[in-house]
Amino acid sequence: MSDLPLDGVRVVDLSWIIAGPTATRFMAAMGAEVIKVGSARRPDPSTRGPAFQAYNQSKLYCALNISSPEGLELVKQLIAVSDVVIENFAVGVIDRLGLSYEAASAARPDIIMVSSSGTGHLGPHKDYVAYGSLLQHYTGWNSISGNPQSEPVPGGLWADPWVGMELAMVTAAALNNRALTGQGQYIDFSMAEALTAGIPGAILDYQMNQRLPETMGNRDARYAPHGVYHCVGADRWVAIAVTNDEEWQSLCGVIQRPDLLPDPRFADADGRREHQDELDAAITQWTILFDDHEATRRLQEAGVPSGPSLDMCRVFNEPQLREVGYISQIRTRDGELRELPGLPWRFEGGEEPIFTEAPVLGQDNEYVYQELLGLSGREVARLVEEEVIY
Amino acid sequence: MVAGLLPGVRVLDVGQGISAPYCAKILAQMGAEVIKVEPPDGDEARRMGPFPGDSPHPERSGLFLAMNSNKYGVSLDLASPDGAEAFKRLAAGADIVVENPPPGSLETHGLGYETLKTINPGLIFTSVTPFGNRGPYKDFKATDLVLYHMSGHAHGLLGAVEDPDSNPPIRAGGHQAELVGGMAAATATLMALYRKRMTGKGCRIDISSFEAMVNQLISGLASCAYGRPAPPRDAIEVEEAAAAGMVSAIGGILPCNDGYVAISPREDVQWERWLGIMDNPAWAADDRYSTRDARQKNSPSLWKLLSEWSSNHSKHEIARWGQEQRIPCFPVNTVLDLFNDEQLAHREFFVEIEHPAAGALKYPGAPYKFSNTELPLAARPAPLLGEHNESILGKLE
Repeated sequence: MSDLPLDGVRVVDLSWIIAGPTATRFMAAMGAEVIKVGSARRPDPSTRGPAFQAYNQSKLYCALNISSPEGLELVKQLIAVSDVVIENFAVGVIDRLGLSYEAASAARPDIIMVSSSGTGHLGPHKDYVAYGSLLQHYTGWNSISGNPQSEPVPGGLWADPWVGMELAMVTAAALNNRALTGQGQYIDFSMAEALTAGIPGAILDYQMNQRLPETMGNRDARYAPHGVYHCVGADRWVAIAVTNDEEWQSLCGVIQRPDLLPDPRFADADGRREHQDELDAAITQWTILFDDHEATRRLQEAGVPSGPSLDMCRVFNEPQLREVGYISQIRTRDGELRELPGLPWRFEGGEEPIFTEAPVLGQDNEYVYQELLGLSGREVARLVEEEVIY
Repeated sequence: MVAGLLPGVRVLDVGQGISAPYCAKILAQMGAEVIKVEPPDGDEARRMGPFPGDSPHPERSGLFLAMNSNKYGVSLDLASPDGAEAFKRLAAGADIVVENPPPGSLETHGLGYETLKTINPGLIFTSVTPFGNRGPYKDFKATDLVLYHMSGHAHGLLGAVEDPDSNPPIRAGGHQAELVGGMAAATATLMALYRKRMTGKGCRIDISSFEAMVNQLISGLASCAYGRPAPPRDAIEVEEAAAAGMVSAIGGILPCNDGYVAISPREDVQWERWLGIMDNPAWAADDRYSTRDARQKNSPSLWKLLSEWSSNHSKHEIARWGQEQRIPCFPVNTVLDLFNDEQLAHREFFVEIEHPAAGALKYPGAPYKFSNTELPLAARPAPLLGEHNESILGKLE
């Protein structure tokens, strides 16, 4: 027993790669017992290395070949004693395996089954094969970003992590409903739609003004100055966003340009936007003298929204992430102490989330097959021999 | 009346702008009864646009309308004794309060969690702020631009550039950091609500949008934890990394005669079929492109060859050919393409809602369908400022 929110919830995790495992990582850290089910026959493509460590912390891991008849029977037994089952195979795979919602809910009537795919499980393009990076283009998500008049940006890693969190959210919603009504759910989740839902401004602008989004780099349709400014060092920048006149006045003080204040051209946001090139040059004359963190410190002291533009390893080294406990040390099985990410929230007064290192395939076979499902050691040995537990 | 998943759950949305209102919007579309509490001059999002004809109007801001559909709305001056009292009465009957103030501002009106939990011990109180309420940055001011850059995302968005010092990292459009903060808040809040159902306990949840953004890149963080360098931006360094086998998959966009298509025929079997679509060009036999490794290492020159071919075809045509061969491949869609997309149409993704001031508009719906429960996605338009003062606040007296 713990005091964590999902204490007592058991999740059968058939998902792999990024989105599904990200969802179950949230659940595991919040107290659910997540049993990752995989097989050496078809290993999770991200089985090794840092990415697997990141996406699979705090989970149990049992080996099972669910495409064998006995394997299918065992996973159904596992579903019968679980609350949630989640999968993100290509559309149709889970049905062919014999694990449709019909089959899962026959094993456990109030099961919550979460199925995520590129374009959803119904519709003329449901069978489209997808990678997250390509869906970002398909859904218009990338179309609103970029420098002016340039080709579409390749886009960073967005689709899978975003969907991972949203899958955890819909699962929590379904758990609440089950607690209230006793009923389970099948959840048909479309990654593509999740991305399109993330650009409401562009969708409404098109209807209101028959206009496609104008890409504007770091600039903003409303605020100015608004951009990144070169600091000391190669590829070092500080992001500055002035959102009102008071911040504008503060900025002029920090960059020691009080002469800009009385200039009527810069008196309001519209004027500052119109003359942004000139202002950007003035700001850069100051930022170029400072390290990006030092520039940030001085700007923040004066109340100007700002921060360094960081690469991944500099993000990793941010003291903020350690002081709030987001990054903490875990000893991994290679014997090293590693600083690994946690959860982006704190439940104050509650129990700390659970973080253990990512599991290896089969490490929890005994718990799952003997303790949970009541198989004998001899039966397990036979199933291992016959490559069912495999 | 569609009940949704959360019948009887009452939420007070004290948020402004995007992050907290987005959290409350999710709760509303899941079926909670959400009351938006705005200051007398309205939520900041009413001034954010986009507006029809670019003409600002507090009841016609696209972002406000999108973030606040399916909520009720009241206006309250929390600085006045009457307003604070009304808010306390609302909070006494609520399950959840969501806010995104500058740190401590509900506090200054004597309406922080410590006060509210004395009148409602089971309350879940969710605060979304740029950096949370702890750590050296807790009082820093940040916007979507700042959070997108500080969290490492901007360095990955543009891909390789010739000269990083004249081609800075850029942010994504559309307030993505604020949306991530809101989604993290909804996720944590729904988990806390489940705990409340099981144990009766409330709690305070502190959400840092910065951490929520950083958390989108946990694989990158883990790479750093294993001593690996950050992915480079400089085109030459990117090529060197590719040559050293550090690029895991080829993929990207190709120019077409009507836009672009996004492809990634990374596996050998996919590549074979892709060559078939291109009528097996002679260059494919070249050693530089004959294996997956070689293609990754030589992806810049490979991309030029692919582009020469793709420029003669349309994006929808190439995407269809690719998908017919089971190769992940999609047109690079504009917003207009989305309205014409037959998959989105079949799934009824866009939801039309009639609003008294803004008219009928199509909003993005929910990317999920629950087999046993219909969601109230078009229950009501975003509230006019103070629209439900009488029906909700009136009842308190």
